[in-house]
Amino acid sequence: MKTRLSTTIFSLSFFLMFSLSLFSQGKSVISPYIQLQYFKNSDNSHLLKTTLTYSLNRMEIPLQGMEISFFSEAGGKKLLGKTLTDKIGVALLELKEINNLSLTEEGGWSFSTEFKGNDTIEAGSSELSIKDVKLEMALLEVDSIRTISLKAFTTENKKEIPVSGEVVMVYVPRMFSLLSVGEASLDENGSALLEFPADIPGDKEGNLTIISRFEEHPSFGNVELRETKQWGLPSTNSAPVAHRALWTKTAPRWMIITLSVLLTGVWGHYLFAVISLIRIKRESNKQKKMKS
Amino acid sequence: MKENINGKQGKSSRRIFLKKIGVGAGAVSVAGIAGVSAFSAKDNNRSGLTVKLLSPDGKLVEVDQDDIKPAREIVADLKEVARKGLPDRKFGMVIDLAKCKNARKCVEACQEGHLLPKDHEWMKLYLLQDDRNTAKYWFPRPCFHCDKPMCVSVCPVGATYKRPDGIVLVDNQRCIGCKFCMTGCPYSARVFNWKDPEVRLPEGHVYDPETNIPPVEGTVGKCVFCADNLRINKLPRCVTACPMGVIYFGDLLEDTVTNGEETVRFSKLMTDRAGFRYREELGTLPSVYYLPPMQRMFPIERGLDGYDENIKGRYKEAGPR
Amino acid sequence: MQADKKLLKDLTPELESTGTGWYITFTIFLGLFIVGIYGLVQQIDKGHIVTGMRDNVVWGFYIVNFIFFMGLSYSGALISGVLHLFHTGWRKPIIRMAELITVISLVIGPFFIFFCIGRLDRLYFLFTHPRIQSPITWDVIAICTDLIGCFIYLYLSFIEDFAILRDYDELNVAPWKKKLYKILSLGYDGSPIQAKLLANARTIMATMIIAIAIIVYSVLAWIFGVTLQPGWHSTIFGPYFVIAAVFSGTGLLIILMWIFRKVYHLEEYITQRHFINVGVLLTVIAAFYGYFTFSDYLTKWYGSIKMDSILIDKLFSEYYSLFIFANYIGILLPGIIIAFPRFRTIRNITVAAVIALLALWVNRYIIVIPTLETPFLPIQDTRPDWIKYSPTWIEWSLTFAGVSIFAMLFMLVSKIAPIISISEMQEKDKDEILK
Repeated sequence: MKTRLSTTIFSLSFFLMFSLSLFSQGKSVISPYIQLQYFKNSDNSHLLKTTLTYSLNRMEIPLQGMEISFFSEAGGKKLLGKTLTDKIGVALLELKEINNLSLTEEGGWSFSTEFKGNDTIEAGSSELSIKDVKLEMALLEVDSIRTISLKAFTTENKKEIPVSGEVVMVYVPRMFSLLSVGEASLDENGSALLEFPADIPGDKEGNLTIISRFEEHPSFGNVELRETKQWGLPSTNSAPVAHRALWTKTAPRWMIITLSVLLTGVWGHYLFAVISLIRIKRESNKQKKMKS
Repeated sequence: MKENINGKQGKSSRRIFLKKIGVGAGAVSVAGIAGVSAFSAKDNNRSGLTVKLLSPDGKLVEVDQDDIKPAREIVADLKEVARKGLPDRKFGMVIDLAKCKNARKCVEACQEGHLLPKDHEWMKLYLLQDDRNTAKYWFPRPCFHCDKPMCVSVCPVGATYKRPDGIVLVDNQRCIGCKFCMTGCPYSARVFNWKDPEVRLPEGHVYDPETNIPPVEGTVGKCVFCADNLRINKLPRCVTACPMGVIYFGDLLEDTVTNGEETVRFSKLMTDRAGFRYREELGTLPSVYYLPPMQRMFPIERGLDGYDENIKGRYKEAGPR
Repeated sequence: MQADKKLLKDLTPELESTGTGWYITFTIFLGLFIVGIYGLVQQIDKGHIVTGMRDNVVWGFYIVNFIFFMGLSYSGALISGVLHLFHTGWRKPIIRMAELITVISLVIGPFFIFFCIGRLDRLYFLFTHPRIQSPITWDVIAICTDLIGCFIYLYLSFIEDFAILRDYDELNVAPWKKKLYKILSLGYDGSPIQAKLLANARTIMATMIIAIAIIVYSVLAWIFGVTLQPGWHSTIFGPYFVIAAVFSGTGLLIILMWIFRKVYHLEEYITQRHFINVGVLLTVIAAFYGYFTFSDYLTKWYGSIKMDSILIDKLFSEYYSLFIFANYIGILLPGIIIAFPRFRTIRNITVAAVIALLALWVNRYIIVIPTLETPFLPIQDTRPDWIKYSPTWIEWSLTFAGVSIFAMLFMLVSKIAPIISISEMQEKDKDEILK
């Protein structure tokens, strides 16, 4: 009797717990969207970026403070690092020793990212294969036309293989976003020429930065080159300094002069009237003295 | 992306303050707080005493006592900095009337970002029709930040001012509420706080004309082109909130405007799409340009869908006057 | 200083004793004033939301009253200044009333501005952070200047009377009043040097007052004139406001003449001739006022500028009765009454003056509010109080409070100084002697 009761209780509670866990899982487990990107910047630094978000009412909500792990998959899974996602759901890892990583059979790198998940968020992972590409940009003046000369190649067995048929985007960074200046298609030699417009405003001296990049390329990832050159029109602020108008701090001169003249005139007359009053009083005092 | 107001504003106003006085760091840290000392004139007589404080990030930090400024001075600094504006910039906006469908997301984002009561609309939407033969169109109207601002000319105490970067701001602590600026503005861009707006302020909030929070009873408020966002190279709230990408914003000296998705040359946009300014003949030289409402993709009435009578009733008599 | 016995006997009784009628009237006005103050307290406590002003019509009754009272003040200044300089004989009994209108309304007017200001605790910014490009700063400077000038001018006109009262031994007044006369008369006793000083000062101040009154009221007109609003952006506003002000002031002068003549039994001094003279002045000014009004609206109506047309349509539909009253009846009725000798009775002329005064208040209302209700961008709102201005009881009560305090101050002054200037009346005798 006793064992039967205890078995029943045990199995009942086990069933209860199991169903409870199922129930809690079905309540609100978020299925995140995880995206892995690779960046190679102008200073030759390499970056892996993972964005962790989830969808709610057709809006992407970032997940903050989640631990993201980065791995290199080629030649065995190797942990590259772990970082936390920030306010916009982005976790970044700089790959300082990228040249020491094992390569895949195609001669590229293989990266992956993992999010372990927790009670409310499911786990997620993503993979990315990147082939290292060398992008070169030269800013030349050909027949007094400003031209950007682009060249891209991959290296295999110490031989340069030109990248052809790919598109390189060229931008000039502005205050809030990047202004597209053109797209260059690389020919069979992996080079392209792009004419740079002559009427883009730069800073006060006419300097501007020119960015050329592969954008979200399936093999190369994001590769970027930046250079600053005095290829812009010098910009001047339209508001002159020490300006005097109705809406500036200092009023126009004629206004101040007119006002001062008018007020001096009027208050001068008041002064005269007050002086007359004082003199009347003095007169009466004099007469009183004379009488007494 | 929705902004978390409660946490954000309290931290960023101090963050932004430090940014303004020259600290480049993005995150507030001990270095950030201590960075005040680089601009302090008291470098010669440092007492060497330190004080333990709680940084906005929640870390316990130790700061030189000389670097701590009283709150009153901070407000004065913020107001001073707000009058100077951002150097070598001239901000402008382009509104594409062809795309606007009265989603009112711009109005909501603006009210949320500036802690406005629901009946204060710094960005206002009109339904206009110039003549019975011409097209009806939805007309979003922020403050135009005119280059010859009538409102600034008539303010008797200098509470509203025009900055070198083109933005016209209101100093809530100087305004005496005479409302002359409201009669001076031909575009009805200003609102008045007729009663106490009863706004719940985030902790540690310091008054800054660039956000103009909180609205103060008896003073005037208006669109500020989100000058606080511009300091951190972020677009104004209405620009990012618009689902149709109607509003473009940029530095006109760079001849570029963007709506968050597209970035275009301002001069090209004006020439190709025949941009214009509202009532150019008034001569106030607004900084907001409009693109004509041509080739609409949807009927005007779609803009009334889903709203209650409070909104719908406004446009019952919309039409040529 | 000596004075004619008859004058003294007729013009001083009011200084000596006060009838119950005075007290009753004063109490009624005081009651109205207190209601107004209660309304003001409500407004300060709850905010301006308790008034009818909203985001489009930001200036309502308070500004209308401000313009109205300032208009009365400047017209009083103009009339008393002009009458003084021109030495017209019939001015003598009424000139003091005109001077009192000047000062008393000048003191009341600015308070209506204070009611309209959102942050009264920051009012001193107008003096610590002024911007001289703003028409309001011009107005602040102008009002301060005018206030000092008018007080000096009024005081100058009182000195001789105070001297007379000081020396009138049979005057049966309280000792404090006697002492007041002694101090304020500055020991004036009509000696040649003193008389010359006083006469010069009065002439100069009279000239100044006329110039100041015109400039100052034009400045107030330009507060509206320099804006871009349809209906306000009119080049005629400066002179138009000045003429309208003189019109209202003349009307008020006639009303006061009638009241004091009746209540203080001054029939011998303020005669039908005076009423007719001031009535003719009223008619002439009415003609000018009508001319300016017609000119303003004709040019607006004839041209096809859209905003002007919208405003004119509004005036002739929503504000039709007010417009007709202010700009037709207000001009024509006084004209008709004065033009025909049959109608020129004292009572009729006073009725004309009352109508003129009311018409001018309505004229100010029509200038300020319809323009604010027709902005360039149409008012698209669902709340009725945001679309059309409807004044609340607080604004009405403060308007009546303004009228009450005007009446009360006048009543109080009439107990300290004679309402007809004794020294002025005496000058008649000198002229006759010279003849």
